[in-house]
Amino acid sequence: MTPGFTSTPSPLPVERPRSRSFVSLTPLIDVVFILLVFFMLASSFLDWRAIELAAPQSGTTASSAEGALLVEVRADGTLRLSGEALDMGALASRVSRRLAQRPDQAIVLEPQAGVALQAAVDVLDRLVALGAKDVSLIRDSPQ
Amino acid sequence: MSRFSFDVSASGGAQDEDDRILPLINVVFLLLIFFMIVGSVSQVDPFDIEPPASDARETVGDDAVVVHVDAGGRLSVDGHVLDLAQLASGLSARLGRGGMVHIKADQGVEAIRVVAVLETLRGAGVQQVRLLTVQRPA
Repeated sequence: MTPGFTSTPSPLPVERPRSRSFVSLTPLIDVVFILLVFFMLASSFLDWRAIELAAPQSGTTASSAEGALLVEVRADGTLRLSGEALDMGALASRVSRRLAQRPDQAIVLEPQAGVALQAAVDVLDRLVALGAKDVSLIRDSPQ
Repeated sequence: MSRFSFDVSASGGAQDEDDRILPLINVVFLLLIFFMIVGSVSQVDPFDIEPPASDARETVGDDAVVVHVDAGGRLSVDGHVLDLAQLASGLSARLGRGGMVHIKADQGVEAIRVVAVLETLRGAGVQQVRLLTVQRPA
């Protein structure tokens, strides 16, 4: 029995875990987990896009903006082009016809009180998509 | 004989445990590197702001002063809550060479509030103003 025992490679597998556990992995895993959680919570993946806001000179009102198309966005969701009530499609065709004649046509966007920013941005987007290069935002009259 | 077999199974178990935890560490490391590279660590906004969506394609650098406007119309610059009158004086100190200002406004804020901020910025001599939006979901 004894000579058979000594020839088995039993000492090797017994000693290997002792040398491996010299460096403990648990604190490393802890730190890496904490770093992971930090970066997951602190990072943002929002894809920010910018809209250039061209404002006419301060003090300009709708009436004094010479030759510009005035687009009003009203609180009930309707649009007005130079005082005439229109829906989005009619406004788009009017504006694109005007832009075909004068590509540098200035357009003034005037949201009324109670209009959410998203509604104004939607109209602004549509006007820019039609090819308008000079779209500026104004408000009715500063209180 | 019984002790011998116990030793072998114990050492094999410890090795298995290490081998089982190594893929976990690999994956966690990969996730960590992913979040470090892809995610941009952002300053925490003073207000909870849901930005408007738009089709604008221009991307945004981070070299501008950001004016936050929350859904109620409150303003803040660099974490300090201001009103419209304080905005002009508060900004002139912070504006660098470029003179560029980004407006980060909530999609639900009244548009005329943003226009009022815009007018104030123009009055303070800001050359470039941009409204920050996110890409419209497809």
